[in-house]
Amino acid sequence: MLKEELEITAFLARLEVKEEEKERYLKDLNKMFEFIEVLQEPDISQLKPTTHVTSLRNVWRDDIVKPCPKETIEQMLNAAPQKEETFYKVKKVIEAQ
Amino acid sequence: MDEILTCSVKDLRTKICAGEVKSVDAVKACYKRIKEVEPKVKAFLKLNEEQALKHAAASDEKIRSGQKCGVLEGVPIAIKDNIMIKGESMTSASKYLENYVSPYDATVIERLKSAGAVFIGRTNMDEFAMGGSTETSAYQQTANPWDITKIPGGSSGGSAAAVSSAMAPFALGSDTGGSIRQPAGFTGIVGYKPSYGLISRYGVCALASSFDQIGSFSKNVYDTALLVSVIAGKDYRDPVCEPTEQTDYTEGFDNSGVFKKLKIGIPKELSNYSSDGEILKSFDNAVRNLQLEGAEIVEVSAPSYKYVPALYKVIMCAEVSANIATFDGIRYGYRSPNGISLNDEYAKSRGESLGYEVKKRILFGTYVLGAKNYHRCYHQAQRVRTLLINDLNKAFSECDFIFSPSTLQMPVKFGEELPEECDIFLIAANLGGFPGITVPCGFTKNRMPMGVHFMGKRFSDAKLFQAAHAFEKISGFDMSQYPKI
Repeated sequence: MLKEELEITAFLARLEVKEEEKERYLKDLNKMFEFIEVLQEPDISQLKPTTHVTSLRNVWRDDIVKPCPKETIEQMLNAAPQKEETFYKVKKVIEAQ
Repeated sequence: MDEILTCSVKDLRTKICAGEVKSVDAVKACYKRIKEVEPKVKAFLKLNEEQALKHAAASDEKIRSGQKCGVLEGVPIAIKDNIMIKGESMTSASKYLENYVSPYDATVIERLKSAGAVFIGRTNMDEFAMGGSTETSAYQQTANPWDITKIPGGSSGGSAAAVSSAMAPFALGSDTGGSIRQPAGFTGIVGYKPSYGLISRYGVCALASSFDQIGSFSKNVYDTALLVSVIAGKDYRDPVCEPTEQTDYTEGFDNSGVFKKLKIGIPKELSNYSSDGEILKSFDNAVRNLQLEGAEIVEVSAPSYKYVPALYKVIMCAEVSANIATFDGIRYGYRSPNGISLNDEYAKSRGESLGYEVKKRILFGTYVLGAKNYHRCYHQAQRVRTLLINDLNKAFSECDFIFSPSTLQMPVKFGEELPEECDIFLIAANLGGFPGITVPCGFTKNRMPMGVHFMGKRFSDAKLFQAAHAFEKISGFDMSQYPKI
């Protein structure tokens, strides 16, 4: 991984990586990339991927609305760093390019 | 030491229920012990003596007035700080959740509450459970009670240290890649991870969702089985929780001759790794003890054990990057005051509040999931995961349990690193969704505990407890010993 690739990955992850830390990340991540190489070794052409070990499919429950207690809603909203009435407040989503 | 502290949960709950011991006295005994050893061990992130005593008094009152006792009525328990208790803080040992208050109970907490258990404190862990030493906690370093210059293991190091030093009779933890069983092995107690899907994760801070399970720490196998009988079973709020009915896992413990009917598989691959000499010696001794009890010892092989560290890192980091994306600084948690746009605010909120290990895993996970790399990295790893599971299922066709040392190395000093392959026999259980339990088996010359690990077929948890319980009786490990702190 090169510095430029690290910066792109950090942007995709919406994660700030400070300039002075980049070298440390690059060193550690490049070491971790050896894991990817190790996994190229076995012949898995006949195998399907495992996403989950469970064999459950479509777990249904009755379609009944369970009302959320008002105090829970208030508590959830109060946990927000910024809110207005019953809304979470965020910075402008659409920005001028 | 106070008799209450050395009492098993099995006996303690009977005594409390019979009114012979007061729950308030049990909680007080825990806190007295905490005051003595916690300054050196630092297992807890939060203690709430007042509230615990209030709940204990309520249990005592229930018993006094002749009401029906819960299964764990009045018994103190410690909870890892990534499990939600309504109205209490939950930090996951991260600065990001420093001021977070849980709006609801996790399913396991709901069940513990209705069983009457008393929560005595929240235990330290690696930040968001990412680590194997409890050193990545944003708040404090927890020491191994047997040697306070060494790590207790992790990520549930606080729970392990609390139980092994008798500050709590038992504790909950979470296990994504050995995070219960490795610290249990390092601190000389029983650590258990269930089959994937046996215990609901609703209300638990997610790390890697296809591996995560809630499990337990205790001083003996019976106490673990008792706890699991309370918390296991179907829950529609965790979509991968299997529809199993409530089961009493303590049944069938009194049968002698358990091993006469069992085939114990020893992985051939064990000899491929460098292991601590004393661990190998005590493991060989454990194998001999099983043989003497009538177990048939067979050699099994799963050549893809060698892919375990790589598989785990790639899949776990990918899932981490997806799960941590929920921490956006908008609905709860830390929001940076320095953001100049929405994107910048996301990036700074995470950048300023998360530790290095967490950020490194997010970056690696984001990379392996990237459109350009997905096929070669993540998809490939998922197919190798199938290979490993096939290998292990083949091994299980030749034996009932795969038996190994709990770790291949002893705990290191703070700041030192354990080798990648130290926990591979534990991590294999997470990759395959198999249940695993570590049981102490002896001490090194330097008085450090060692353990063994039984891994069973999926949903053989009840049988696993029976085997581990039978092993406990013949292991020669003296459970009444406590670290001198």
